[in-house]
Amino acid sequence: MIGYLIRRILQMLIVLFFVTVFTLFLVHLFPGGPIRALLGPRATVEQVAYFNKLYGFDQPFYVQYGKWVWQLLHGNLGYSPKLNQTVTGLIAQDLPKTIVLVGLGTLVSLVFGIPLGMYQAVKRYTVSDYVLTGISFLGYATPTFFFALLLVEWFAVDSHIFPPFAPQGSSVGQVLSQPRALVLPVIAYAFLLYALWSRYMRSSVMDNLVQDYVRTARAKGASERRVLWGHIFRNSLTAIVTLLGLSLPTLVAGAIFIEVVFNYPGMGLAFYNAALNVDYQTLLGFTVLATLATIVGNLLADVSYAVLDPRVRYT
Amino acid sequence: MAPLLEISDLHTEIRLRQGVVHAVDGVSLQVEHGETLGIVGESGCGKTMTALSIMNLLPTGGHITGGSITLAGTEISGLSDDALRNVRGNEIGMVFQDPLTSLNPTMTVGKQISEAVLLHREVSKEQAMDRAAEVLDLVGLPRVRERINEYPHQFSGGMRQRVMIAMALACEPKLLIADEPTTALDVTIQKQILELIDDLRRRLGMAVILVTHDLGVIAGRADRVAVMYAGKIAETTDTGTLFANPRHPYTEALFHALPDKAAATRQRLYSIPGLPPDLTHPPTGCRFAARCRYATDRCREEEPTLRGETVQHEFACFYPVGAAERAGAAVAASEPVTYASALPPDTSGETLLRVQKLVKDFPVTKGVVLQRRVGWVSAVADVSFEIRRGETFGLVGESGCGKTTIGRLVVGLDTPTAGAINFEGKDLAKVSGRQYRRDRRKIQFMFQDSYSSLDPRMRAGTILREPLAVQGMGSKAEQQKRISEMLDHVGLPQTAVDRYPHEFSGGQRQRLGFARALMLSPDLIVADEPVSALDVSIQAQVLNLMRDLQRELGLTYLFISHDLAVVRYLSTRIGVMYLGKLVEVGPADEVYLTPAHPYTRGLIDSAPTPDPHAERAKVDAGVRGELPSAIHPPSGCRFRTRCPRVQAICAEVEPPMTPFPGEGHLAACHFPMEIPVGAPARAPAA
Amino acid sequence: MTIMGPGAESQLSQFGVLTEAPPAEGEGGVLTATKPRSALRRGWEVFAENRLALVGVGVVVFMVLFCFVGPLIYRTNQINTNLQLATCRPGGAHLLGCDEVGYDQLGRLMVGGQTSLEVGIAAALVAVLFGTLYGAVSGFAGGFIDSFLMRIVDAGLSIPYIMVVIILSVIFHPSPIIMIFLIAAFYWLGVARLVRGETLTLRTREYVQAVKVIGGRDIRAVVRHVVPNAIGTIVVQATFAVADSILILAGLGFLGVGVQPPATDWGSMLSNGLTYMQGGNYWWLIYPPGILIIVTCIAINFIGDALRDAFETRLQRR
Repeated sequence: MIGYLIRRILQMLIVLFFVTVFTLFLVHLFPGGPIRALLGPRATVEQVAYFNKLYGFDQPFYVQYGKWVWQLLHGNLGYSPKLNQTVTGLIAQDLPKTIVLVGLGTLVSLVFGIPLGMYQAVKRYTVSDYVLTGISFLGYATPTFFFALLLVEWFAVDSHIFPPFAPQGSSVGQVLSQPRALVLPVIAYAFLLYALWSRYMRSSVMDNLVQDYVRTARAKGASERRVLWGHIFRNSLTAIVTLLGLSLPTLVAGAIFIEVVFNYPGMGLAFYNAALNVDYQTLLGFTVLATLATIVGNLLADVSYAVLDPRVRYT
Repeated sequence: MAPLLEISDLHTEIRLRQGVVHAVDGVSLQVEHGETLGIVGESGCGKTMTALSIMNLLPTGGHITGGSITLAGTEISGLSDDALRNVRGNEIGMVFQDPLTSLNPTMTVGKQISEAVLLHREVSKEQAMDRAAEVLDLVGLPRVRERINEYPHQFSGGMRQRVMIAMALACEPKLLIADEPTTALDVTIQKQILELIDDLRRRLGMAVILVTHDLGVIAGRADRVAVMYAGKIAETTDTGTLFANPRHPYTEALFHALPDKAAATRQRLYSIPGLPPDLTHPPTGCRFAARCRYATDRCREEEPTLRGETVQHEFACFYPVGAAERAGAAVAASEPVTYASALPPDTSGETLLRVQKLVKDFPVTKGVVLQRRVGWVSAVADVSFEIRRGETFGLVGESGCGKTTIGRLVVGLDTPTAGAINFEGKDLAKVSGRQYRRDRRKIQFMFQDSYSSLDPRMRAGTILREPLAVQGMGSKAEQQKRISEMLDHVGLPQTAVDRYPHEFSGGQRQRLGFARALMLSPDLIVADEPVSALDVSIQAQVLNLMRDLQRELGLTYLFISHDLAVVRYLSTRIGVMYLGKLVEVGPADEVYLTPAHPYTRGLIDSAPTPDPHAERAKVDAGVRGELPSAIHPPSGCRFRTRCPRVQAICAEVEPPMTPFPGEGHLAACHFPMEIPVGAPARAPAA
Repeated sequence: MTIMGPGAESQLSQFGVLTEAPPAEGEGGVLTATKPRSALRRGWEVFAENRLALVGVGVVVFMVLFCFVGPLIYRTNQINTNLQLATCRPGGAHLLGCDEVGYDQLGRLMVGGQTSLEVGIAAALVAVLFGTLYGAVSGFAGGFIDSFLMRIVDAGLSIPYIMVVIILSVIFHPSPIIMIFLIAAFYWLGVARLVRGETLTLRTREYVQAVKVIGGRDIRAVVRHVVPNAIGTIVVQATFAVADSILILAGLGFLGVGVQPPATDWGSMLSNGLTYMQGGNYWWLIYPPGILIIVTCIAINFIGDALRDAFETRLQRR
């Protein structure tokens, strides 16, 4: 296992290398260079030249890259002139809030998705199955932002049950202190995920129900309930845990649309603003963080799969 | 005494999208306390459905629609699921065919067995686990305390089946239903498992229902037999009588289709024409009438009921064997012999294929995500043999012995790690490029699974044309001609050219595979288990076809199989392989009747033959133990871990091939069963 | 013993229960006399059995007609803005009212739909074509080439798709054409991985190996056997890719970084809805574009699911 982990970490580093090079290259694609894009069209040539020198953009690419990586390794993700904050500071401020949103949303989606998916498998091809399948289809096909819009329209604007905007505030505590404002964003986020989990559970449980080992369990005298919860549930769950690992990157970037609609002060909104303002340092920092999250998430997913499935663990 | 289990007029249906299949159509059986009832039949006859109906474990869409099933006097067929759960695992235990898929892969073995105990007994978890250990010990699992917490995939096939049996017996049921319990296992392990079941039956005073397609297994293990065909019982009696005096034409035809009986004389096998009827629309009258040699109009209109001259022997036929008024020609047991000896006389002695010191190792990668090399599997280790033109060389052995690998090496699907393959004197490894591809024409391959070896998206005609197209042989018209010629040869209709593989039956697909192998007019055909997946009656057709075409076209075969009876029937010479080594080789009859190597002897003894007396006599014979790892094969003689004659030298020195009486009869053993040529007579080791 | 998918028929084939009349056996036996049906026809039959798929096809056809033929019937001015008419209510000359710069909303939906559909389909095609080629080459080459090519794919897949697409959109201010390549630029990675996996699986199939036995070269095996058998997966993938592309484009449009005016798509139309939601009931700015997206995507999903079933049953024992 140790050897495996070392090998994976090495692979991760290679991937990080490729990605960071690419991202830096991407930043250079802004017309006129990132500095001009940042300063806007009214910047003078001298101003651009000055900042180019200041931020090192007049150096060859590999030098820029080297300096940047050096910075990164020291935990310095850059500085956002537009927000007058270090990128690290920005992340420290916004990431916890996004985690709250995404965490709650994922929890809600699992709480509904898994049992309903199993229920659908047991009651397959009945009316309730079709109805729930229809709801899942809606979950796939509805753009998250549209669903969020509708929620706001129905529950906030028209009926004033919930406030139309998400809780504002710079700390997690402030966010959590306005629970009513959290309800709509969480539901909006959870809907798509719910569709995925319930579809997956439904097909996984259905596949398992016709497996031989289920017949053996019945032959032993197990009740249908025991078969479902004692045998099938465990086997279907393994893959969901793996999928959860793969959804780690959503902590950084996944909730962009929700945060924009509800004006939720999290990572997604910050990224969006940074994109619009060509705040390239923020963009770079966030992208690298998101990539890191993806890679770590993949690793966790693979490891959890190896740990949970005895066929892999004891080969 | 009243029977333990009584099935009366059972009807089971399966509702499908395209109709209702009457899988079991009026079956009545009894099982007495402590006896073994064998239910035998080919695929689709309803034997498995009958077994599943007893505890209502039918697949989706299956229902019992009529009849009654009583266990020790209590009716169980109409019971609710709750009530039935008291019976399942408790009064009746069941063992299924494939132990790998039948066990939950994510639960330890101990937990699965103790679950069975906890469901039916008021005991604590520890007590249940103790019972699990107890019963695992009973079924002969070594090192129980260690292995009880392991997962199913960590066990070998035979061990897994023991675990299944342990699970079924945990609550000491009165009846054990075994549905093809050994079909997925090697022959030597099969014998061990069947012996185990027998042994346990005696010790626990259980009754056993043994469902199988293998008449040899029935001969050896069953007290009474029921032969099923198309959802009904054709004949039922005790085992001895069935084999000595079959009355139903189907039973008789089955025996005539078995290669075992024809092996000595090498006569043509009787092949039952046609296929079993479609059970969504069962025919009126006798179900076997369409394929029966003796059918009359009465058979086709009226359905015979199960009755007999004695209560012990019942059959459903108007014109059973031995009846006076039989229609149709008095057909002999087998077709008249047109060639007395096994094979065409043109065994000019010319060596067609010579395999020298062939070695093949495969790298082993560990884990699903890891994929790193941890060792090598020694699949073929220094094997040498020759095949002469015109003969059939049968390569026989169990799983992991390397026979399939050799077939693939000869045909070019894999490259050897070391050693040479000489064809017509040329070393194939030295030929490359275009010449190689042209030389390939002369050696062709018949795959085991015809379904996966034919491209499902190509029509039969295109599949057959492909070899010609690749080799650039003939114009379009000439190719067409050759295709229709080949279809005639293999007995497929000309309309087959437009069909897709899935539209053919199993036997027809095998013929198609055979036709494809013949397209390039090869000299040598390597056939890898060509009949293993086929029912006995279809198998006979394909074997007859292979023999006929061998004579007609002057073919040479390398016939690979695990089935000794088939190999013996078809081959001039036999090679026996074990764990990558060729342990014995020689003329077929010599090897079979006077085997020199203990493994060959064990293999012959383990293979079930359809002769009850011979089977009962084989009580202590067979091969004990399990197959060792091919990654770390035993030193010296690879068979030594399971050999009854093993001595110290066997671990140190690898036995060389020594000649034995009989032309070209060689075996590699320090303490063989026969006396080698030139050796002084010595008493074999005890 | 293998389990071939859910469904009673496949279970039963394990038990050897005969469920259909197979062709008769025996020397000179005759195969059933029905006319042989081509693979295409059989696939179509399975597809047509699925009513949802037919509904899906119908909906998609309707959408195409609505977007491309509609403007010929319902003519509106989509070039000149008219701020006097901004956000006018539905009725009269403007069946669905006007948007925030005075364009007729219904007409705008048609124009926006053209963009959504064009970009959606084209992006999916580009991504699938390129990804298939890449994945097939990688899978069949194997060894070092495969490792190298897949490392690149892994790296590309490590960047969250939405982030990189947003950044690219901001950089390039794309027209619909550029949008196609932008969306496809990172979508093909997933396709490549899938096709490579499929190629690896198919390579081990015996009928592919059989080509070697008859003396054929690898190229033949790929072209004649691997590709036709992988097409099923690829087509299904392409279908879902269209739905995904439409959604991505809509998302970008919603964020304001999608296609720029005067071009528009359904997502961009929705982004205005956000600003107008607080001040009153401007339902015609919100519901119509959103509903059109949803309906189109559901229809495509139906088609994709049905195609998947059609290809699977064709390959299985029937």
